[in-house]
Amino acid sequence: MMTPTQGPGRWLTWDRPLPWLLPLTVVLLLFTVYPLFYNIWLSFHEYAPLKRQLVWVGGKNWSTLLEDTRFWQSIGVTMVYFFVVLALEVVLGMLIALLLDSDEPGFGFLRGTLTLTLVVPPAVVGMMFLLMEDPEFGVLSYALKSLGILDSSTPILSTPSLALTGVMLADVWQWTPFMVLIFLAGLRSLPAEPFEAAMLDGASAFQMFRRLTLPLMAKVIAVAILIRGIDLFRMFDYVYVMTSGGPGTATYTVSLYAWQQTFSFIKWGYGATISLVTLIIILIMANLFIRLAKVRW
Amino acid sequence: MVQSPVRRFWRILIAWMVVMLFFFPLFYWFTVAFKDAREIFDIPPRIVNFTPTLANFEEVFGLDFGGQKSQVARTGGGNFYMAPRLLDSIIIALFSTLLAVMIATMAAYALSRMPFRTRHHYVAWVLSTRMMPPVAVVIPIFFIYKNINLLDTYTGVILIHMVMNLPLAVLLMKSFFDDIPREIDESALLDGASRWLLFRRIMLPMVKGGIAATAVLCFIFSWTEFLFVLTLTQTSLKTVPVVSSTFVTSTGTAWGNMAALGAAAMLPAFVFILLVQKQLVRGLTLGSVKQ
Repeated sequence: MMTPTQGPGRWLTWDRPLPWLLPLTVVLLLFTVYPLFYNIWLSFHEYAPLKRQLVWVGGKNWSTLLEDTRFWQSIGVTMVYFFVVLALEVVLGMLIALLLDSDEPGFGFLRGTLTLTLVVPPAVVGMMFLLMEDPEFGVLSYALKSLGILDSSTPILSTPSLALTGVMLADVWQWTPFMVLIFLAGLRSLPAEPFEAAMLDGASAFQMFRRLTLPLMAKVIAVAILIRGIDLFRMFDYVYVMTSGGPGTATYTVSLYAWQQTFSFIKWGYGATISLVTLIIILIMANLFIRLAKVRW
Repeated sequence: MVQSPVRRFWRILIAWMVVMLFFFPLFYWFTVAFKDAREIFDIPPRIVNFTPTLANFEEVFGLDFGGQKSQVARTGGGNFYMAPRLLDSIIIALFSTLLAVMIATMAAYALSRMPFRTRHHYVAWVLSTRMMPPVAVVIPIFFIYKNINLLDTYTGVILIHMVMNLPLAVLLMKSFFDDIPREIDESALLDGASRWLLFRRIMLPMVKGGIAATAVLCFIFSWTEFLFVLTLTQTSLKTVPVVSSTFVTSTGTAWGNMAALGAAAMLPAFVFILLVQKQLVRGLTLGSVKQ
């Protein structure tokens, strides 16, 4: 077969990576890089209702951001949500994975059942928990009241101090199985020899977990934390359908705040500015984590 | 490891209880789908002691199973015929998956087999697009779509769902290509096969399973996606997760209808996910943890 060895044509043969990567590159440039620059451009503009068009406002959106207490509250809510839910999902996920790491009859079925939560649309999960946490007829509220945990007059999702917990519950329910499955795959591929040696030396189960399981699983745990962490920081669906950010600002996440500023309050430039900050925080945190935990693809 | 019978008993018992606790909300949601409007609001909540009815499904999918109609007249109005929305969901998930898998498979082959100087940076770039918060994509995309008339169209949603799934599909397919021994490429090229022939005739058949797993995951992520469809569509199309959150009338939420739609939308996803159990963890971790 003839392949041109000179001129621009030589890059466009199947022996070069270029034609293979061209469609992906074009699509990613058009749909992620171009919108990114468009967003930066938007953040220096604002919609002027009287002129019915975008006007240049310089750094005004960025200086507003610094003084906007609702924005900082939304960062706070997102951070609390991020750390609490991540910790719960990692710890519960590990405990359940250790529990299910066995060849008992029926355990394969149990592992399969756990995967079902992952494919339910998060918006539907939000509605499921909205129904279950309903103060009047919700099955979860009813159970908590019967157990005496919840005051009979307290509605979970409209009490400022409880609302975020109510939303977190949906997240923990849906994504703890994500951790369980990943950790189980890690546990299953652990080498047997170190554990046998430790048993002979009389190590306790906890010592073996602490000194062998955790270090050997470090990479798997890091990947799980990275992927889940990215999604937690940009959480939108649950709060949108369950609380719309309320009561007050108790469940306003940054994503929801940016979205509402843009599409509900027609502050196009300001919403874009907030979404850019979210993007910057995620990229910094993720890259820092990738470096510290030495995650590689 | 040898366990005492007592410990073994407790382990099995606790494992079943934990998993049933996770299964309960799904089970409860399915019971709501089969409940009459009155029974949904009963206190104490009815778990199994209710009279099943298909009325919710009949209303949502415009079917008639010939059973007794709901006794409770709907107050507050609302049209809950959602069969077209199910079709919208299928069209969008199908085409976005098809495009994502095609583009990703080609790119993944090159990233796995053709070393070039900036390859690691390229992979890092693909990965970093997976980190972009959807809200930071959807705001500019909304205005771009508005300018080129892609708002409220299948094409617009299909394209953005494809883009959303590309990082996952590329990294996952790359991990499947990485599993194939390099000697196969080398001997085929030595025998005079072109790259394209090698890819088409030897590589693709070897990663069939990987392509299927990737396609299933892309389909599910498109099927369950919420924010893009919520923002980029208005009246001519909507997917199931978005309409599910709109079953609200002036007198309350139509829980039964919503649950019926949600339950029907979950079933295909359940079947799919059980088909790819073996590749699931690899998929969820973008190809980095293998089972």
